[in-house]
Amino acid sequence: MAIGVLDSANLNGGQKLAVKYFTAAVALFVAQILFGILAGLQYLMPEFLYNVLDFNVNRMVHINAMIVWMLFGFIGAVYWLIEDEAGIEVVGLKLGNLAFWLFTSAVTVVVVVYLFIQTGPGTDTTRWLINEGREYIEAPRWADIGIVVCMLIFFYNAAATFMKGRWSGISGVLVLDLVALAGLYLAGMFYVTNISVDQYWWWWVIHLWVEATWEVLVGCIMAWGLMKTLGARRKIVTTWLYIEVALMFGSGILGLGHHYFWIGTPEYWFSIGGFFSALEPIPLVAMVVHAVYDSGVHRFKNANHPALAWLIAHAFGNFFGAGVWGFMHTLPQINLYTHGTQWTSSHGHLAFFGAYATINIAVFYLAIQKWRGNVWMAGGLADNGWKWKWSLALLNIGVVGMTMALLIAGYEQSFIERAVGGSTWSGYFAAQTNPWFMQGMWWRQLFGWVTAAGVVLLVWDLVTIGRGETRAAEMPEVEAPEPGGAAATAGA
Amino acid sequence: MIEPVALENFFIAFFSAAMVIICGALYALLFAYARVHRQPRLMPLAYGAYGLHFISVMVLAYAMNLNGFWQIVVVAMLVGYLLAPHGIWYLCQGTHTAEAAGGAGDGSSSG
Amino acid sequence: MNNTPWWASEDVWRKIAVWITAFMFVVLIFLTFDSVSKITAGSERVPPYSVINKRIGYEFNAERNMQVPVIGEQAPLFGQALTEEEAEALVTHGKKVVQGRNCMNCHTLLGNGAYFAPDLTKAWLDPAWGNEASRETLMTMFLKDPTNNARTFGSGRKMPNMNLTDEETRAVIAFLKWMSSIDTNGFPYNFKTIQQEG
Repeated sequence: MAIGVLDSANLNGGQKLAVKYFTAAVALFVAQILFGILAGLQYLMPEFLYNVLDFNVNRMVHINAMIVWMLFGFIGAVYWLIEDEAGIEVVGLKLGNLAFWLFTSAVTVVVVVYLFIQTGPGTDTTRWLINEGREYIEAPRWADIGIVVCMLIFFYNAAATFMKGRWSGISGVLVLDLVALAGLYLAGMFYVTNISVDQYWWWWVIHLWVEATWEVLVGCIMAWGLMKTLGARRKIVTTWLYIEVALMFGSGILGLGHHYFWIGTPEYWFSIGGFFSALEPIPLVAMVVHAVYDSGVHRFKNANHPALAWLIAHAFGNFFGAGVWGFMHTLPQINLYTHGTQWTSSHGHLAFFGAYATINIAVFYLAIQKWRGNVWMAGGLADNGWKWKWSLALLNIGVVGMTMALLIAGYEQSFIERAVGGSTWSGYFAAQTNPWFMQGMWWRQLFGWVTAAGVVLLVWDLVTIGRGETRAAEMPEVEAPEPGGAAATAGA
Repeated sequence: MIEPVALENFFIAFFSAAMVIICGALYALLFAYARVHRQPRLMPLAYGAYGLHFISVMVLAYAMNLNGFWQIVVVAMLVGYLLAPHGIWYLCQGTHTAEAAGGAGDGSSSG
Repeated sequence: MNNTPWWASEDVWRKIAVWITAFMFVVLIFLTFDSVSKITAGSERVPPYSVINKRIGYEFNAERNMQVPVIGEQAPLFGQALTEEEAEALVTHGKKVVQGRNCMNCHTLLGNGAYFAPDLTKAWLDPAWGNEASRETLMTMFLKDPTNNARTFGSGRKMPNMNLTDEETRAVIAFLKWMSSIDTNGFPYNFKTIQQEG
């Protein structure tokens, strides 16, 4: 096996499928940034693409591309680790490939329809064929069904492969989490006129995906990644995965309440949402203590510096984006002013990037390393590794910059529009035309370009890193799960 | 049920909420670091961070008008953040005993 | 070899994780049954669709320390009283138009959506429509031709032309009127209604 050459012989079957998902994910990441920039420009130049490609279209593609690329990254990560973890080949690889192409073509058709048909009359046909018109889950119903079918194939591949091969604690949590992930999507797949009921279930999908099941999925990928890259002991990693599940679901499931303050739901959600929101940072505190403990008692050798750097970015990003930015405006006493302002987009940008974009990028770097025959990716890379370092810096500076710009705009908006202006249309526009707000939008655009530069560099680096490198990386062995041990029954 | 934040307390409300989380995590970080590197000199700093956390929670409680039921949340934050790092620390030690006893068998995790 | 204390063992934590998750989920299911029953159309918090036949206000309630919707005397939308079924059909059509035209990716509804355009929760009550007599006419004109009837308040941001038919426009206005009657626990805060201004 040649080192430094992109050769699919370096990959097992699941990994060959995984890199397809990763490639599509990167393409969608680029699309996310592109449409984000277009939407951001429309704040500065309202006539830009007016009545041609309006803000609602750009913004819809921006957030949908994000959701799908992250999901593709997760699916790819699972296919990446599945054969190692199960000890056998993926049982339905052909089916898995079919699902990939189905999913990717469905996404392409949906985006083409978003861009060229955009909207439709107020009939059921529009919702089935064009656009469902509900933020984040705009995909028309036919695509919803396609997504569910693809997720079922994915679920079958995961569950059946582990069942035929072997179970472990990690795969047990993973498979149960996938059931929840797919099941929750169904909560967003029906029409209801009553908008309070509509948003009640809508939040089941959105919140219980990003603040519960996605977090646990990432926990599984991290657990496996820690064994793979740092040689961490399986028993310990698995125990901590359980601890995290207990803390995440313990605080995150009823943390859903912080979305039920203002949509018509009863007042008791104030107490439930407030209390569990205060608990939600606890898993983060646990991670801080455990990370310090681990780095203190071990001297880990790390064979993939870009991946480790992105994992560190993940730890910080998750802490600030979800923890600090979330808690700043989550209690109802203040959320009354910040709900539905640029505060939310400030939080959204940092949290999605910090918690999920970072971990996906780390996995991409692990993948490219193996793809090139376990090539050296630690210190002393060609050109001093400037591309990965600069893309890391530009992406983080870009997103943090946008977050701060939106924070200032959001602060101003919650103050002028909500507290002073009484949330009327004139109050809204008084806030939108305020110099603080407009400057925030300019800075957001500027940092958006910084982010875009980081993405370009990232793609360039992923394509070239390790090319022509002749040194091999020293990779730790991953411990196999104990046959017949406690972990073996975890999936039951 | 809730008393919305007063206009003049806006900044304090946001700032103290951020400090609650940051100081809480800083306390956890310093606490774990002092323990793992056996540097008891750092422990007062850790409790100093907790002190800041305590103050932040109090300011938050004032700015966000946390009265009635909300005082339970205040107490939960004060006690929870104080005890959580201790608990997690014991869990770290407990879960890693197998590793300490198992010794350098796998080479990569000894230290 | 294995002297892991019981409280730190893999086995115990697996059980804790399963029980906590199951418990929280069961509590959520229970709360969901309760909440959904309290927000069905026709309940105290979410009025029936025929509320579009009535005058809707938004007033401060000292006991709850927040503004709450107040349903007043007969004031049929476009001067035409509808039965419960007709009202539901009209609001349903309106909701489907709102979804089909992707309103939520510029506006917020009940505070959720995008932040490029104003929140629509109390759009029916907004003072921008002048007074109660002119409201329906102005809303119709605006929705039919937002480019030329734009109210940008100096922002330059105009709503795109959504090519709404007369029937769709009527339905959207009905949906907005119905939505303004939902008890949203005082959101949006400190709102001045058209009645108070007019």
